[in-house]
Amino acid sequence: MQSTEKFEDRALKGGLKASLGLLLTPLSLQGWLLLALALLALLTPLLATSFGAANISMLDVVRVLGHKLFDIGQPSAITERIVLELRLPRTVLAFVAGAGLSIAGAVLQLVTRNPLADPYLFGISSGASFGAVVMLTLFTGTGLLAGSGLAVDSGLAASGSGLSAGSGLSLLMWLLLPLGAFCGASLSVLLVLLLSGLGISSQVERMLLSGVATSFMFGALTSLLLYFASPQATASVLFWSLGSFAKASWALLSLPLLVVSLSLLVILALKRQILALQAGDETAHTLGVNVPKLRLGILLLCSLITAILVASCGGIGFVGLMIPHIVRLLFPGRQPILLTALVGGLFMVWIDVLARCLLGNQELPVGIITAAIGSVFFLFVLRRRGRYG
Amino acid sequence: MTVAETGTMPLALSVSDLSWRLGDKAILSGISLGLTQGQMLGIIGPNGAGKSSLLRCLYKFIRPTSGEICLHGMDIAGIAAKAFACRVAVVQQDTPHYFDMSTTQLVAMGLTPHKGPFDGTSQADKADIAQALARVGLSHKAAQQYEHLSGGEKQRALIARAIVQRPQLLILDEPTNHLDIRYQIQILELVRSLGISVIASIHDLNLASALCDSLLLLDKGRCIVSGTPDLVLTEQRIAEVFGVCCRVQPHPQHGKPLISYFYGYSAATAAMTQGTQDAID
Repeated sequence: MQSTEKFEDRALKGGLKASLGLLLTPLSLQGWLLLALALLALLTPLLATSFGAANISMLDVVRVLGHKLFDIGQPSAITERIVLELRLPRTVLAFVAGAGLSIAGAVLQLVTRNPLADPYLFGISSGASFGAVVMLTLFTGTGLLAGSGLAVDSGLAASGSGLSAGSGLSLLMWLLLPLGAFCGASLSVLLVLLLSGLGISSQVERMLLSGVATSFMFGALTSLLLYFASPQATASVLFWSLGSFAKASWALLSLPLLVVSLSLLVILALKRQILALQAGDETAHTLGVNVPKLRLGILLLCSLITAILVASCGGIGFVGLMIPHIVRLLFPGRQPILLTALVGGLFMVWIDVLARCLLGNQELPVGIITAAIGSVFFLFVLRRRGRYG
Repeated sequence: MTVAETGTMPLALSVSDLSWRLGDKAILSGISLGLTQGQMLGIIGPNGAGKSSLLRCLYKFIRPTSGEICLHGMDIAGIAAKAFACRVAVVQQDTPHYFDMSTTQLVAMGLTPHKGPFDGTSQADKADIAQALARVGLSHKAAQQYEHLSGGEKQRALIARAIVQRPQLLILDEPTNHLDIRYQIQILELVRSLGISVIASIHDLNLASALCDSLLLLDKGRCIVSGTPDLVLTEQRIAEVFGVCCRVQPHPQHGKPLISYFYGYSAATAAMTQGTQDAID
């Protein structure tokens, strides 16, 4: 009996020692990075929501959230409205857009085996923009744009940023713009496939070159449309095409959130097949992957993600190119889709904060910042590829 | 005589009257073969003979124009891609560029046909991967980037991936390409030791002779002969198909044909002079 107690005592001490040892084990560089990312992910919603024209501290944000979620404290009504109706949906939309564009880029890079692939270079963004611009030029001034956040009068849009879809956001526009963008993006994918010889399993380099050609073609068509459009529509499109989360609302957020979340689930479900494509179409086939079907499905899924995000936030380039590379640099030897989404989301939230703060009392469109960073990053990738083959 | 006619053992794979045309050009014509369970069949022939095309038909990447391919008696046309990949693994001759991927991740790709959506890598799978890596002697390179492995190590990693795929039949397309002689022998011996049915296209006739149970000699898309190495590898046939003079003797170690090539005497030159044997003398 005594020996059993002794044994249990020793086992307990041993267990405690082991647990303590585990806690004290020095983390690897990747471990520290993951810890830092987790902390940043926890703090970002609070920090990012406190930035803006109105002076709201992080504590105010905590108070508002405490009041809303647990009915604790009593923040001022105006602070509560700014946090809940303007800044929080904006932060969430920025996160969703960053995460969506990043996973679209990562998956495109994997299925095309080209590290320079992203929705922009593949022509998907241009197609989506063209579809959205068709809708904008057709319906600007008809009243269907009211409250969509895309009208020139930002005051009109701001009044529509309520918590319900009915409070100003036209259902027609809520559907029409994404629909137009998706049609444009799908048309672009179809054109890329046709131009690259209709081989979904054809050479991926040709697909990328076709993507660039398609991108230019849709860019030209968009310019042509704008040339003949009304000045009001042109101004509206120009502002929208630079990319911004300024008109975010809970109602506007629902579709991107739904599409990006479902797409992420689909991509996670198909992760093994997508990774198998890295080994080449023929090897992927020998691993039981239906290559043409998978590639077409993934291209359409990326079109959907891009289209919905282009319709909601305008043209935001290079995020899909940069983030997967950054994640691969930080975590070599891994293809973490969820981590890519997290880093992409956090990156976009902070780019949006930068856009709000850079010019003092004026906002800079996020598309300008991402394009500026992206172009430098593009050169960095090319240089790195040149150096390491 | 075809390989199919050589015995009454159950056939892992049988091919009857297989043909494949690319436009007007016949790439493969009337090929028949049979592979007994657990045996290794070597496909040999000069460049452009149709070796890779035949293998591509066997792993369903190319749909033949006519003929039938049966895996354990079942027509492969009726087997779904995923189910087929659970039974047949392939190692190709060229290793493509991968994104940053560790050797372990590459080997884990062999699990792909066995897994459904959201299926993770279980402890048993991890043990299988570790075992496969140990079997090809790459345990110490498990965490290393695949791109940083040497040519021989890359090939062994791909074979480890095939082992994880748990196939009944392993198809290898020139697995010893670009490898030095040490790795050539090592890889083919490793494949033999797996104890499963293997079909491999091999350029080196001496390696094919030493390590294959039977050979199939292809030329211009047609099967010239198939059978045991003794039957296939004769001086006359090598001169006819490859256009080189050689002497075939029993190997001092295993007794299978050992081919010694003669330089400066192509088969055509030899035929024009006093005959192959005189030329050698």
